[in-house]
Amino acid sequence: MFILQLIVAGLAVGSVYAIIALGIVLIYKCSGVVNFAQGGYAMLGAFFTYALTTAGLPSAAALVVSLLLMGVVGALTQTLILRPMLKAPVVAVMMATLGILIIFRAICLLIWGPDQIGFPKLFPDGSIEVGGIFMTYNYVAAFLLSAVLCGAFLAFYRYTPLGLMQRCTADNTRAALAVGIHVSNQVTIAWTASAMLAGLGGSLLASLNGLSLGLSNIGLVAFPVIVLGGMTSLPGAVVAGLILGVLQAVTDGLLTPAIERVLRDYTEIYSVGALQQVIPYALLVVVLLVRPQGIFGSKESERV
Amino acid sequence: MLILICVAVATIVVLPALGRYGAYIVYAVTIAAIGALALNLLIGYCGQISFCHGALLGVGAYAAGNFGNAGQDMSISLLAAGVVTALVSVLVGLPALRLRGLYFAIATLAAQFILEFLFRLLEPLTHGVAGLMIKPAPFLGMDLSNDRGYAAISIVILVASLIGVSRLLRTDLGRRFILIRDSEMVARGMGVNVALTKLWAFAISGFLTGIAGGLLGFTTRIAAPEAFEIALSVDYVAMIIVGGLGSLPGALIGAGFVVLLPEAVQRFGESLGAATQTSAIREMVFGLLIIVFMIYEPRGLYALGGRLARRLRAPFRRAGAASQLAKSEGVN
Repeated sequence: MFILQLIVAGLAVGSVYAIIALGIVLIYKCSGVVNFAQGGYAMLGAFFTYALTTAGLPSAAALVVSLLLMGVVGALTQTLILRPMLKAPVVAVMMATLGILIIFRAICLLIWGPDQIGFPKLFPDGSIEVGGIFMTYNYVAAFLLSAVLCGAFLAFYRYTPLGLMQRCTADNTRAALAVGIHVSNQVTIAWTASAMLAGLGGSLLASLNGLSLGLSNIGLVAFPVIVLGGMTSLPGAVVAGLILGVLQAVTDGLLTPAIERVLRDYTEIYSVGALQQVIPYALLVVVLLVRPQGIFGSKESERV
Repeated sequence: MLILICVAVATIVVLPALGRYGAYIVYAVTIAAIGALALNLLIGYCGQISFCHGALLGVGAYAAGNFGNAGQDMSISLLAAGVVTALVSVLVGLPALRLRGLYFAIATLAAQFILEFLFRLLEPLTHGVAGLMIKPAPFLGMDLSNDRGYAAISIVILVASLIGVSRLLRTDLGRRFILIRDSEMVARGMGVNVALTKLWAFAISGFLTGIAGGLLGFTTRIAAPEAFEIALSVDYVAMIIVGGLGSLPGALIGAGFVVLLPEAVQRFGESLGAATQTSAIREMVFGLLIIVFMIYEPRGLYALGGRLARRLRAPFRRAGAASQLAKSEGVN
């Protein structure tokens, strides 16, 4: 029963990972840019939600307004920073996104300070019990919201004209240009959507774990997710996010105590610390070495 | 090269007049320059993007600290740190045999976090979260464990490694690095053993990184996990890009820039009396500058300097040509 409890908690956190990873995959597919700043967008979104609720807005309205603001931020960063860098080398673009991350962190540090902030309640307190497993409303809501959003997102890409244009741009930029798609507008749209996704993911995560500058590290946890999912696959990112969330929860709840018990018997090491934070990266290395295209990626998805 | 040695000697000569803060600035920049040089060899010359340089510096600091605390001479400890870090660096580089570009960069990101975790875990060697205290050690039997001494040692090491790396780049191996950066396929076609060459790049870069890390450890007297986090890796990548990818003077300029700029902002902020906001503003300036550089001069300060110099020289050159023309006309 304990393990089921862990899996449920893992799925909730994992669905948030999925949302954030979706944004990175979206941008990578459309423009070949790896956005190291995704965690920064998540953090900024969470701080916006926090600021708006403290300004007196009800939490649902605050969340919506903050997502709209994030969309504007995403579009602005793309047009101001990434668009002039179309022909820059890969390292330069990576560094530019890291620059964005540094600036976002600095802005939040300047306005809200370095301390952990109690995040306003997005969902009511309390929990429900299903078959002996207790779930707080927070986790249930985070999971449901992420699931609905992921589904809506994938459907949007599959069935709408704009989604078709987005997929076209992602598939083959030249061909997209040839059939008359305004590619750089499509890239701007991708950044807008990705920033909004990140803002939602950040707000949900803050409602689960509290809000601080450390939230921006979530962007780096998303990299194992997208590599595991196959870098260019949207459903892959969702599945990989869930897998990693569960893996982390199980590591934290079961594996770490077990390993520590063994270590204590044979070595002087008493604690393995935050093992669940390293597990994704260890998995990442294994996946990269054994199956670089990830679970869902295709062979040619490796951009050389 | 001669100019470089002259500058180095001149800096060492004026060191006693600089005071403690001046000496601190000198060795902070110099050590960063050694680390940036090592990273530039890997990214700028061999084309292997790495985001775990901070952790590798940490490996160097811990290794040097352990050897130093065991009573070894500082020079021996630094060399040993270099060897240990070279081995770890080769280990980190192993995935590079299968992965390229972006994928490898992500693998080094993983290496960064795994190494950070190990720093906290391996308490017998690293003293965990508290950090390893590093006792001052004599350098070649001399007591140089003060700011000026450290500055002198790091300048000598920097000059030696600059000469070493520039020599290396003229050898067969150095040329192979550059060839792999430009096109792995061509390199393979020309019969270059790509895997072995890459591992050499990791080993040599790791050796220099270990020495720089060891110097960091000895000068700060403590090696703690939070000093070698991903932010440090980002700083170093910023250094070599701001200075100029694949340029030796670029590594120096970039190191100077990235170390001195926050220092300057900090001083300025403190003089205004707003210490709390200063660190945020410092970060913001740093981030903005990175972005501005990436947009307007991705080839870095060194290229920018070269361009400015050419532009400044151009009017004179034209004037010279005109006068020559006048002369030749006069002859006719």
